[in-house]
Amino acid sequence: MIAAKRVEIAVRSLWAQPRARQWFLVLGAAIVLFVLPFLIHLDGRPHAEWLEFFGRFHPLLVHLPIGFLVLLPLLELAGSTRPALREAAGFVLQIAVAACVITLAFGILLAYGSGVSGTTVTRHMWAGIVLLVELLVCLIVRPPWAAGQVRRVYPVVLAVTLLTLTFTAHLGGSLTHGSDYLTRYMPGPMKRIVGSSSLGSDAAYVGSVYMRSIHPILDAKCVACHGSSKEQSGLRLDLYELLMKGGKDGIVVKPKNPDGSLLVQRVTLSPGDKHFMPAEGRTPLTPDEISTLRAWILAGASPSATTVQGITLAAANADVPFEPVGDYSGLMKDIRQMQQSSGAKLVAVSARASDGLILRTVDVAATFDDAQLARFQRFAPFIVEAELGRTAVTDASMDTISKFTQLRILHLEDTAITGKTLAKLSSLSHLTYLNLSGTKVTSSALEPIKKMPNLRHIYFFDTSADSGQSATTADVTR
Amino acid sequence: METRRRFLGRSGKVLGWAALAGLLGGMSRRGFADEAYVKTSPLEDGNDLRLPHFAPKAKRAIYLFMSGGPPQMDLFDYKPNLASQFDKDMPASVRGNQQLTGMTAGQARFPIAPSHWPFEQHGQSGTWISGLLPYTARMVDDLTIIKTTNTDAINHEPAIMLMNTGNMNAGKPCLGAWLAYGLGSMNDNLPTFVVLQTKTNTKENNQPVSSRLWSSGFLSSEYAGVGLRSGADPVLYLDNPAGVDRDTRRKMLDTVEQINRQTMAEIGDPETNARIAQYEMAFRMQSSVPELTDLSKEPQSTWDLYGPDAKQPGTYAYNCLLARRMAERGVRFTQVYKRGWDVHGDVVGVLPILCQETDRGTYALVTDLKRRGLLDDTLVIWAGEFGRTVYSQGGLTQDNYGRDHHPRCFTTWMAGGGVRPGITYGETDDYSYNVVKDPVHVRDFNATILHCLGIDHNKFTYKFQGLDQKLTSPVPAYVVQGLLA
Repeated sequence: MIAAKRVEIAVRSLWAQPRARQWFLVLGAAIVLFVLPFLIHLDGRPHAEWLEFFGRFHPLLVHLPIGFLVLLPLLELAGSTRPALREAAGFVLQIAVAACVITLAFGILLAYGSGVSGTTVTRHMWAGIVLLVELLVCLIVRPPWAAGQVRRVYPVVLAVTLLTLTFTAHLGGSLTHGSDYLTRYMPGPMKRIVGSSSLGSDAAYVGSVYMRSIHPILDAKCVACHGSSKEQSGLRLDLYELLMKGGKDGIVVKPKNPDGSLLVQRVTLSPGDKHFMPAEGRTPLTPDEISTLRAWILAGASPSATTVQGITLAAANADVPFEPVGDYSGLMKDIRQMQQSSGAKLVAVSARASDGLILRTVDVAATFDDAQLARFQRFAPFIVEAELGRTAVTDASMDTISKFTQLRILHLEDTAITGKTLAKLSSLSHLTYLNLSGTKVTSSALEPIKKMPNLRHIYFFDTSADSGQSATTADVTR
Repeated sequence: METRRRFLGRSGKVLGWAALAGLLGGMSRRGFADEAYVKTSPLEDGNDLRLPHFAPKAKRAIYLFMSGGPPQMDLFDYKPNLASQFDKDMPASVRGNQQLTGMTAGQARFPIAPSHWPFEQHGQSGTWISGLLPYTARMVDDLTIIKTTNTDAINHEPAIMLMNTGNMNAGKPCLGAWLAYGLGSMNDNLPTFVVLQTKTNTKENNQPVSSRLWSSGFLSSEYAGVGLRSGADPVLYLDNPAGVDRDTRRKMLDTVEQINRQTMAEIGDPETNARIAQYEMAFRMQSSVPELTDLSKEPQSTWDLYGPDAKQPGTYAYNCLLARRMAERGVRFTQVYKRGWDVHGDVVGVLPILCQETDRGTYALVTDLKRRGLLDDTLVIWAGEFGRTVYSQGGLTQDNYGRDHHPRCFTTWMAGGGVRPGITYGETDDYSYNVVKDPVHVRDFNATILHCLGIDHNKFTYKFQGLDQKLTSPVPAYVVQGLLA
């Protein structure tokens, strides 16, 4: 009792001091903020639409606190010579706190209302909360600093706050622009230092029915909302392990029981049903895709099986999905110049820049040699197909070609290639098609590239590797 | 007639060209010259024409056109139950109220003529193929056979126009011209769209084919098909006259071009630009065409595959070989015409000749493209303008029969980039007369071809006579999903 009394007295006496009272308020606010995510649980389900309506102003509002906070240290620094600016800094800090509170509120409305969840979303939210608490601390520690009483604390807290801001804003940017927004155009060497890589843990299943037939369907129709950046209903379908784990509504794939699998049920509802997937009018699965899913689940939903009854050869041979290449439209001037000086062309695969470019040499094939090819290396991140048939390129070019990391289709037919250096192409993980017809390649030279996981069509008609029987085309099947 | 609207419209165009030429000033003639070619690539175009709309499966197409109307039930559409119905009358309910051609409308009866030839199953797909097509039978697993193609026209000219241009009336651009206009050229030295005609055989009933079929219609005449002749001189007057060397010719062309540009500036007819482009193309073809048609470097395996006919210019097999060589050299669209399929009488006598002339060449082309790795991005199309009737035209005997035109169903096939190999699509009734399941109208057929080449047929339009004209207009058409890989 006495102890309690003592505590009470201590609290009262502290409360009587204005500075301590401020600390109490901040502490209280921090506790409320930290508890908030547990009260408003982001369960991955969409809630009332008006929540999302307001929530969608979050990306707009977010620029206010960012602007204020970037302005703050500038005002503080400039304030050392111009006192009026230091006074303004105090005001800017206050409105930054207010803007931050509003932005946070709208952010939570957005996440809760739209039912978006996922690690990036959660991290973004926590970073925003931490940022607000830090700002509140700034609010307290600034007056003594401005009065010249405490010199170190405020600058340190402000610096930490700015770092938190950067981190939070980056996460937010990743949510709206995609996680590879910053790294996509990073120069190769820098990328290696940063260590950015996009290989999922499904790499072990390359060549399986899952990878060839099932994953592409999910990737095309489902992963936009059930993937690494968005995780509606807590469900991710971009990796086998997560597909089998299911989401908030439970397991979605029951091996050997397609009709009992939520995945199949949801895509086969009538399109008007509110549980019908894909939601929001996105392209539904085709009957063929649904029957492929069924067949795979019926056969046990194995990640590694290479044959499944009922999945036709054509479907099993479907192209593996590719990550889109970056947008080259900023390089148009350089591309035009290059075409003019070289005569070889860089042609768009389609109107969508992310489909990449084709290097087309047909008009200047006879003079297009190793040195010419090397000049195109700077466009390598965007070149998905290289038409080098009938050109003067030699074995020496394999080094250059190995740097065309986005290459899917490579034509080398009727060139002087001997195949000695073909192994250098092994690093081209996207390569699906390689034409070596009419070259000097030997069957032993082909060995190293036959192990390439995605390389499914190797042509070596009219070479010594060509055994001369009717099956002169090697559709490498695994 | 020069109307005010046309004059203003044209003046606007001229100003547009001039402005664009100013913007692109200093660029070389290769690629995207000042006359603002739509040709080279979508990169260079204005915003209104960016093609392909999506990444295409096929970059180029080869269209083997069987003019006259091949009899589907003697080649692909196997109807075993007909054998027992020889000379019985086709039930009136099958024909319904269909209006027949003047050639059989007056017949007293419509006796069923079962196919004279046995069918067998081939390939892993177990596709039924007539004994008349032993070579085609070897490649059924590469084919996407459509048994339910159907058309609106019952006579050759409207039907062949509809098949090629999407409209029975002349004046619309054909498929190849649309492709040349939309996708542009892949090479600078050969035309984008080439037409190869096969020499006629007098034993066959040859319906005329004309340049209307490879016309560019209301598009610039640059996009029309360029016909290569079957003789020793594939393009007439292409070679320099005696005493004129290539430099002299170049100088002459440069001067002509200057004059043409003056004309363009004065009168502003875009056709002048087309003419300039054609002169330039002809100059480059002086060296590219001899190289194209020089078959001396073809390996023995080519002759083993295509057969001896391929050495004779003008034969179907020769044209198939040229089509492969053009595919390698960046020709976007090649159309090979084979006439003579109009077998109104003596089917038993004539059809084997037609098949013997074409079967091996067709097989060789698909197989050659496949072994060289070209079939992955080349779409091969085999079609005529319509099919033929199950009932006999004229007298039916144990040994022979005739067949009249039939628009309601006929068999076509595709192979290669974008289509699903080894399937047979659609079902016809017991008389190969009506479509029972999955009809493919000519417009759907063309929409599907455009899709394989990365084009959304509904978005691919050209404003003319107040309409957004397209290959598949005016009735809605659909890409046939079941045909796609």
